[in-house]
Amino acid sequence: MAGAMIALSNVSVRKHKTLLLSAIDLRVSQNEFLGIIGPNGAGKTTLLNVIAGFEKFTGTLSLFGEARTWKRARGVRRRVGYVPQALQIDPGFPILAIQAVMTGAAGRVGLFRSPGREIYEEALQLMDMMRVGHLARRPLGHLSGGERQKVSLARAILQKPEVLLLDEPTANLDIAVQKEVLNLIDEISERQSLSILFVTHDFNMLPARMKRVAMLKDGRKYFDGPIGHALSGEALSRLFEYPLETFERDGKRFVSYG
Amino acid sequence: MMESGLFHMVEQILEILRYPPIQRAALVCVLCGASCALLSVFVVLMRMPLIGVCMSHAAFAGAVLGMLLGVNPFLSGMIMCLLAAAVLGPLSDRADIAPENLLGILFSFLMGIAFLGMGILTQTKAGALNLMWGSLLTLTNADVLVLAAVTVVLLVFITFFFKEIRAVLFNRRLAASAGVPERMIYYALLFLTGAVVSSNLATVGGLLIFALLVQPGATALQLTYNLKFFFFLAALAGVLACGLGLILSYLFDIPSGASVVLMATLLFALAFVFSPKRRLTKIAERSSSDERDTR
Repeated sequence: MAGAMIALSNVSVRKHKTLLLSAIDLRVSQNEFLGIIGPNGAGKTTLLNVIAGFEKFTGTLSLFGEARTWKRARGVRRRVGYVPQALQIDPGFPILAIQAVMTGAAGRVGLFRSPGREIYEEALQLMDMMRVGHLARRPLGHLSGGERQKVSLARAILQKPEVLLLDEPTANLDIAVQKEVLNLIDEISERQSLSILFVTHDFNMLPARMKRVAMLKDGRKYFDGPIGHALSGEALSRLFEYPLETFERDGKRFVSYG
Repeated sequence: MMESGLFHMVEQILEILRYPPIQRAALVCVLCGASCALLSVFVVLMRMPLIGVCMSHAAFAGAVLGMLLGVNPFLSGMIMCLLAAAVLGPLSDRADIAPENLLGILFSFLMGIAFLGMGILTQTKAGALNLMWGSLLTLTNADVLVLAAVTVVLLVFITFFFKEIRAVLFNRRLAASAGVPERMIYYALLFLTGAVVSSNLATVGGLLIFALLVQPGATALQLTYNLKFFFFLAALAGVLACGLGLILSYLFDIPSGASVVLMATLLFALAFVFSPKRRLTKIAERSSSDERDTR
């Protein structure tokens, strides 16, 4: 596929004789928003780790049009933003929220240079966009889980990535904050020129701009297609080996857990 | 009466500071306190307190092996420290062992090597044992120069790589994803720890160095959220612990190692009791639990 930002061909990951990913083929185009869904242990995080350059793999990974081995994938890390599930930090850790955001620019500023006023203003703007600008001077460890997740998003965007990997960014957040974070992710997808991979368990909390879904099960790709096809009771029940039903309300499809 | 006693003490201290070996010891105190304390920031924030014990035993094992092979024990101690750092970095990154477990394994292995060497050693063991206790008054100019050089390198490293250091201390994986050469920073820190520990063995010894690699950082952690100020406060706590400890040791004729460690602990206790951060953390925890309750 021409213009694919990410292309995985026959990618496998093996750890301690266990196959975590098996012969995965996947392509993500520029500005595409792809959801990655699957039960625990399906290999969703491993897949993100391969793309982020954190995991050794066999097969071919092409990033930004160039084939990368595991070691060469590390060289383009700066162009791949990563937001983990939750940002654990000791409450006393000496870092303010704005400083945590600015660590996102540490790579692109380069060695022997300080970030300067421009990066500071940029970080502050992003924090405002994430509705946490007023918390800029607060110690990061004092922020709530949702606030920390917004800081984490701002940090990843300040990196100016071309691909953004979101590993269950709404896990452990209450429903109101989940919705708020999802809206922010939609806003990021709309404003920035980014390909986004979004790992989630929760089918009822999906970003509106996510149009395509890849399903993983036991390290294999199980389904790859439009979200409308993925969110069917039959497909989800087979994927999770648990009876699930879907219903529509106000033009949106929801999943009932029974 | 009390004033004259104090005056007498100050006079006594100024008097002994006229002697070159004491001047050297005072300078070493400042360098040792500062270098160990600067490293303690990493030890405390990266939660790897065992690294001090591990490195000091690496130096001890190296010194014993050096004596067995007829090599300068200080040099072989330093080489062993750097080797331990070289092994520790890639292993803690690649093996599926938690870094603290790895440090424990490496530490006990090195201790085993040291004791094996001690058992085989037929000559006097004083040279090796000196590295466990150190001796401030028998230092040579070369010892002071090496320590000064290592301290300067550490300071330069912190100054030039401050933003990378902050990113790595905050979160190694996120630093890597932002394009920071986090492995280089982490490995450099391990090598610098090896260099600082081995260059301080002749001065304060392997046992005391463990305290100085943890306590000043733990003291600063009670006081500030600003990483730059954190480094400064840790260095200040290290220099104060060493300096005041040495003065007390002289005035009351007590072992200098013990007085330095006790002074470092006293500074930590004071910082803990009067910590403005603990109060702020409690307020933040209370407000976030209130926030949860109101949802």
